Amino acid sequence: MARLFKNPDQLSAYRDRRFLGSQDEFEHALRTSTTVYVGNLSFYTTEEQIYEVFSRTGELKKIIMGLDKNSKTPCGFCFVLFYTREDTEDAVKYISGTILDDRPIRVDFDWGFQEGRQWGRGRSGGQVRDEYRTDYDPDILNCCYGKLVQKELEVRRQLVEYDQPVGMGGVQYPNLGEGGGGNEFRRGKDRHGNGGNRHREGRKRYRDEDAPPADGVKRQDRELKVEKNPRFREKGDSDEEDGGDGGKS
Amino acid sequence: MSASWHSLLVRIGERCPEYGGLADAEEHVETCFGYLARDLSHNESEILALLMQCVEELPHKDPLYGALVGLINTEDREFVGKVVNRTHAGVQEALDTDNCNKLRILTRFLTVLMCNSVVSPTSLIELYESLVSSAATTVDEETGNPAWQARADFYVFCILASLPWGGIELSERVPEELERVLNGIEAYLNLRKPVVYSALQVFEESEKLVEVGDDTEMKLPESEDYLENLWSSIQALMENSWKVDSVPRPHLSFESRFVNSQTHDFDPVLIPDNPKAPENATEITLGRQRQEAERTYPRRNMRLRIFPSSKTDEKITPIDRFVVEEYLLDVLFYLNGCRKECAAYMVGLPVPFRYEYIMAETVFSQLLLLPKPPFRLIYYTVVMVDLCKALPGAFPAVVAGAVRALFKRVAEMDVECRIRLVQWLSHHLSNFQFVWPWEEWAHILDLPKWAPERVFAKEVLEKEVRLAYWEKVKDSVTSTPRLMELLPPKNTPVYVYAPENRGSVPEAETTLATEFTNLVRGKKTVREIQVWIDERILPTQGQQASIQIVAQTLLYIGSKSFTHTVTVLEKYGQIFRKIAPDQTSQILMIDTVSQLWRNSAQMTAIVIDRMMGYRMVSNLSIVAWVFSPQNVQQFHTSDQVWEIIRNAINKTNNRTVDLRKEIAAAEKALKLATAGTAKAYTKWEAAVAALKAAEAKSEDNRNALSAKVDWAKTVADKAQDEETSAQDSLESKEALLARALREQEALFMAVYQSFADLLTDRLSKSVPESHGAPNPMEDTKGEDADAQAPVAMEPDEENIEEDGTKQKNQEDVINGTTTLFADAQEEEQWRKCTLGYLRAISRQYCDEVWLLMEKLDSTVFTDKVHPLVLSTTYAGLQRSS
Repeated sequence: MARLFKNPDQLSAYRDRRFLGSQDEFEHALRTSTTVYVGNLSFYTTEEQIYEVFSRTGELKKIIMGLDKNSKTPCGFCFVLFYTREDTEDAVKYISGTILDDRPIRVDFDWGFQEGRQWGRGRSGGQVRDEYRTDYDPDILNCCYGKLVQKELEVRRQLVEYDQPVGMGGVQYPNLGEGGGGNEFRRGKDRHGNGGNRHREGRKRYRDEDAPPADGVKRQDRELKVEKNPRFREKGDSDEEDGGDGGKS
Repeated sequence: MSASWHSLLVRIGERCPEYGGLADAEEHVETCFGYLARDLSHNESEILALLMQCVEELPHKDPLYGALVGLINTEDREFVGKVVNRTHAGVQEALDTDNCNKLRILTRFLTVLMCNSVVSPTSLIELYESLVSSAATTVDEETGNPAWQARADFYVFCILASLPWGGIELSERVPEELERVLNGIEAYLNLRKPVVYSALQVFEESEKLVEVGDDTEMKLPESEDYLENLWSSIQALMENSWKVDSVPRPHLSFESRFVNSQTHDFDPVLIPDNPKAPENATEITLGRQRQEAERTYPRRNMRLRIFPSSKTDEKITPIDRFVVEEYLLDVLFYLNGCRKECAAYMVGLPVPFRYEYIMAETVFSQLLLLPKPPFRLIYYTVVMVDLCKALPGAFPAVVAGAVRALFKRVAEMDVECRIRLVQWLSHHLSNFQFVWPWEEWAHILDLPKWAPERVFAKEVLEKEVRLAYWEKVKDSVTSTPRLMELLPPKNTPVYVYAPENRGSVPEAETTLATEFTNLVRGKKTVREIQVWIDERILPTQGQQASIQIVAQTLLYIGSKSFTHTVTVLEKYGQIFRKIAPDQTSQILMIDTVSQLWRNSAQMTAIVIDRMMGYRMVSNLSIVAWVFSPQNVQQFHTSDQVWEIIRNAINKTNNRTVDLRKEIAAAEKALKLATAGTAKAYTKWEAAVAALKAAEAKSEDNRNALSAKVDWAKTVADKAQDEETSAQDSLESKEALLARALREQEALFMAVYQSFADLLTDRLSKSVPESHGAPNPMEDTKGEDADAQAPVAMEPDEENIEEDGTKQKNQEDVINGTTTLFADAQEEEQWRKCTLGYLRAISRQYCDEVWLLMEKLDSTVFTDKVHPLVLSTTYAGLQRSS
């Protein structure tokens, strides 16, 4: 439908320089992906708000907030993972450009989340884009209404901090990779060319597989990984952090 | 230059830079014709393809494309011959593949081509006649298959719907033939059964609508049968000498140039036979066929009257209204996903009158279309936002007017439509800073808590909070502080073992919960924690308390965000599953969740949904919990439990859908793997043969060949492994599907059994002393029982006796679990609402339920069930009773 006004080959104007495959592989990843990148979020937008909006195009699998790598708080982008391609396409088609927390959000196909991509890639820890908009944000600061909104957003609640749990504490934030097995997939290896499977996103996790294997082996395995899941790999990564931001620019 | 014919074709008839200052559509046609005539020689096939695409996807401009083709026909007959052939092939393909929109549009285009002397009127009449005669055959009991009436109706609809584009020409050029077609259609309409959509109405009583608007002018309610409706509009059109304002007629300016055009042959099309009626047809097998036909040829729209007719129809003829709706529906359909163009075309239709009210009615009709709209709800939300932006001076006020009018009738609105309206309105307002004149609705605070208007407003605010945050939504109602009463609570978790709740729970439980929290915080392994639970909690606390301590504490720890919750559920999954292994304990677990998240309907639904995903609670436990007494009493005051039960049904259905897709893919993979293995073995054999043949040759050569054999063998073995694993994967998926189907069946059985038990009990008790209000039970016995469930109510003495004793028994069984409301009106609202949900669920999951009909008939839908339950279910399933 509506082929008249759409260039079907144009999936995304953005080419993530972290993607190490060829252009063809990149496009294949976008065409089959069930992940979307969501940008221009308010720092105060919560996962539950995102859940409410995105569940309107289908069942969600996961939400991964983009975090400032210093403060471990949301910094304006996230990844949403769906179960089916159709739902993913509808999210891009319909939700992009709609308003969430008074900001028009953008939704693009993403080539697939990998551990590490949740961190902002800007020098200050947040998104690169924010370093260019510190004192000028056309969406928010342009009008006095926008200023009010921003103020209101700031007072209304704390940013969810993703590192030190508020209150009772104790929950180690697990690796955010798909199916929990994120450690098989370190960026360090990837940079040398061949660690891990670039088309991992093509491998869906099924609704049914949420149940663990009967023998529980995999589950324990995962827990081990959770315990020592290295959250502080930013150091190793930071030398290349001045490129895009959390996946997109 | 190639871009120029492209954009000229696409943009024809639009105010755009491509056509500079040209205002007349006729001038556009002329200009475009000039360019095309020049480019046809070297871009013929591209032009042909684009032209046909435009014809189909921008059908509101078909008169312009038709005139263009007419002009080309005066110079390049060969090219136009190809256009006609493509149209013919398209019609044939649409017939063969049940492509409704294509068939409808191409029939219209062919009519336009006739106006432009490209095809002869007689060949158009021929197409019409074959459609009518196929339709007549279908509804004939003897020779056809009336279960497929939906298709027959659609064929006739295609003819009638194309007449506004060429009725006048046909009546001038071939009056007798046209009359023959119309007589045929009239005969067909007498032959067919009128379609009754009682369960597909947005509002309960359609006559009432007309009165409610701003002016209480009475008007005959129009027929709900879309074909009858169009037929009467066409008759009015005929009486009005086929004059239609909303259809441009550019060909009139070129008529003198068409004098010498030659028409092209349009060969007869082959109308596919109807699927045969099943042998030894039963009511169920026929019902399934009808179901299939209606799924294949669905109702495109159901006109919803929202505004008084002074705003919509008064100044235009019924057929103009029909044409504008067709335009709008086509734009909505073909430009789905192209937001800018969709809004631009919707506001810029080629009609000489204002139509923003009709536009709003049409979008709302689609949004509320039952059983389901052609696209997801969010699409209509986006369209409505874009239209408000495209017409900032006019449309927002129209939308607000529609909301007011719909709100006034919310008490009669179908529950499903009400839920959609809540979803839409909350999302819409979130795109416009939550500005809404809430003070207008302040009067609802004087209504009881269960009043539909009040429930509606409450639900809108609740959804708004989900999309934003509590303070923000609170600010939007501050003009009327009393309305704060309708706001949901702030959505924080309520942890029963928190210090501020001390005293409300036994001290021992609090102590254990604190210890438990420390263990989790101290990063003990799951195994250690499990041991501690087994030793410390289970022996001293009952099951209920244990579940509460463990589930509340873990979920509270994970309450910071959706991801935190998911993390806790994943990490401590074993613990959750072990503590609640069966349905009784799982119901307790769900209850614990709903207690913790009692201030957040969203989180309650999310947690239960995830728990079902991780198989910590079964779908049957969810159904049982939803139908537990405390929830039953809220059926009419909150949509929350319905959201939860629908999530559970959707998740169950999704599993089977996903697995079916996976199995198809796995079968394909296995086929490939098998072929691969065969090929690899052939190669291996060839290599072995080559080695044997090479015995005489040099050692080097033999070594090389032998290495080749080894390699081929490795490849073959690997292929064999792959085949085996593909086979295994297919088998395991099939086993999973079998399980998923069993779960699906059990789920629907449980849902219907629960509805039947609950409602049969409640409906058989008489409503408490009502204050002059009509007793719905009396109505039921008077009408529905007689009309819709004669079997259950045979006036036969034995039966009556049986009925009496049965009712008593049931009262004994269920007595004390659900009690009637003291207020008669509230009880009536509860009944209406619960029956409404039964109908909505039956309608929404119709396809799945029809597959289980025999089993449901034999176990659930027995004569013990209250007739109103049966008639409501059957109405939802579109099953004749």
